[in-house]
Amino acid sequence: MNLWRPIAARGVRVLAPALLLLAVPAAHAVPSYARQTGMACEACHTVFPELTHFGRMFKASGYVLDNLKQVKGVTPQREEILSLAGLPPLSIMVQASYTQLSTPLPDSSGTGKSQNGTVAFPQQVSLFYAGKIAPHVGAFLQLTYDYAAGTIGIDNTDIRFADLTILPGDQSLIYGLSLNNNPTVQDLWNSTAAFGFPYALSASAPGVPYAAQIDGARAQDVAGLTAYLFWNESLYGELGVYRSAKQGTGSGPLDSTTPGGVIDGGAPYWRVAYEYNVGRHSIEAGLYGATFKIFPDFGAGYGQLLAGPSDRYQDVAEDVQYQFLADQHLFSLAATRIHESQTLNATFAAGKSDNLNNDLTTTRAYATYYYRRKIGGTAGFFTTTGSTDVTFLGNTSGAPDTSGWIAELNYLPWLNTKFSLQYTAYNKYSGLSDNYDGMGRNAKDNNTLYLLAWLSY
Amino acid sequence: MRNGRMTGLALVLALAASVAMADETDDIAHATARRLAVGVCGTCHGTHGVSELPKFPRLAGQNANYLAVQLKAFRSQTRGDPDAIGYMWGMAGNLEDGTIDALAQYYSVQTAGGSQAGDPALIARGKTIYQQGLESVGVPACAACHGPDAHGMGDFPRLAGQHAQYVLKQLSSFQNNMRNVAVMHGVAQGLKHEEMSAVAAFLEAQP
Repeated sequence: MNLWRPIAARGVRVLAPALLLLAVPAAHAVPSYARQTGMACEACHTVFPELTHFGRMFKASGYVLDNLKQVKGVTPQREEILSLAGLPPLSIMVQASYTQLSTPLPDSSGTGKSQNGTVAFPQQVSLFYAGKIAPHVGAFLQLTYDYAAGTIGIDNTDIRFADLTILPGDQSLIYGLSLNNNPTVQDLWNSTAAFGFPYALSASAPGVPYAAQIDGARAQDVAGLTAYLFWNESLYGELGVYRSAKQGTGSGPLDSTTPGGVIDGGAPYWRVAYEYNVGRHSIEAGLYGATFKIFPDFGAGYGQLLAGPSDRYQDVAEDVQYQFLADQHLFSLAATRIHESQTLNATFAAGKSDNLNNDLTTTRAYATYYYRRKIGGTAGFFTTTGSTDVTFLGNTSGAPDTSGWIAELNYLPWLNTKFSLQYTAYNKYSGLSDNYDGMGRNAKDNNTLYLLAWLSY
Repeated sequence: MRNGRMTGLALVLALAASVAMADETDDIAHATARRLAVGVCGTCHGTHGVSELPKFPRLAGQNANYLAVQLKAFRSQTRGDPDAIGYMWGMAGNLEDGTIDALAQYYSVQTAGGSQAGDPALIARGKTIYQQGLESVGVPACAACHGPDAHGMGDFPRLAGQHAQYVLKQLSSFQNNMRNVAVMHGVAQGLKHEEMSAVAAFLEAQP
């Protein structure tokens, strides 16, 4: 579900091509919200999953707006004790895809080539419970079968409480809580990590190998509780804390052999944003960030006590979004820049990094156009740069630098069905343009053509 | 005689109780409507019903009867222009009569949004059509029903200050009967697209 599932940022230092296949894309579009509200997808989405202003308000209000007949329970004092939608808000999403790499990946022996032209049917199947649970309480809960992993697991989850108070002058103040499993999955704009472009990527192609903690590294790996205020549909503020909540590692407490690193205590998360709407234009600018202290995972057999020094990752990001929404033409821009300061107290002390302090900066910017919500596309660039640290990153160059561009054409015969043709091109991969793996593989060998059928119903 | 007085007293008490209950019901409906207006409707129709997005009509100062009739038409799915289907059929699907009346009341007492600037030549052309109609093609003067100042008359809606894009879409919907209103279908039938654009531009520019 997360876009650029990072590998090295989790402390896994080996960047074998097989590991890069873990780059699993995001995907989400939930027709159960349309059923619940009785409104067409276009009310909340430009084209799914990008949100309109109304979609952002629906999310901030806790996914609870409903226009279905309710099963009710009321006390003699007129207190409502039950309000349950007559139909459960369930949805299914299916993705099927075809991936063609510029040059096939090395096979597992390292001497031959893998088969190119990967068919994924399905790439992903998700079951959603997405809608109202009770008055003021709603959910976005996704169970996903992932073809690459071959398992069904918890995907992005956001359970909310939200309410509204009316201020003088009939201005609104929404206040709420979000219990979620991925920093930024609760965010309202499509410029942040969890719900930013690209919304889907091949599971069979190498993805961007290094990402900041807030940029998907902790997706579905944590539990966070955040509190937010949204004033007058324009000024948004949020504070919260995340803690490790790893799936599939047994029911005992997390310990020194837990893969992927464990957060030391809680990781504070914060977000401020301002949105301005005028005419057909909607403009947002904001900041978000989090600080993770992590007991590193040095890989199988090492072990690391969950005490003593931990590595500190401080993420600070800016984001902007612009939308122009008319009936015929829809245009949007979204961009974010995430800067991570790494203080590797534990890793450096263990001799697993060359530097005590590293940094990592990722920038992404995308422009999207649609005609009548039927035909359109997105184009943009991505770039990640950072400190050189051969021991920590474990690659040939010692640098995380990866950059390129991505373009996508989409056709939607119906608002809930999307057919995509996507091309990703790399200028630099893992710090180098040529021979980045020391085995003769060049950045452009990872260029990927990706065909996707995406159905939500 | 005594029984008569008792009956009279009982009637007065019953009446008072029903008035009090009605007031309480009204209060609840008005509170519900205000909450809906601020928390839900206002997201598209703007604070106090003065929408920014031209896709969504301005509701401030609109005739309450007209608003109530439209909400009921959305609820019964008898108003069928595209945005009515996509947005309002769902939104109004579960509204009770009391809430509809209170919402209509809420918006009718808000201060209208005022005029918006436009192309002077187009506005002038629209003014002529609005005030005089187009006799040659059988289009009557809009002012005859919507009032000389376009503030609405009786159950005919206020049009002054309305977004031109919205007015234009409604005229097109009347014309092709997606919004099935016999009177307006008759009126709009003879209008060309540029004439509808001119009327819409004129209305948007009215205070």
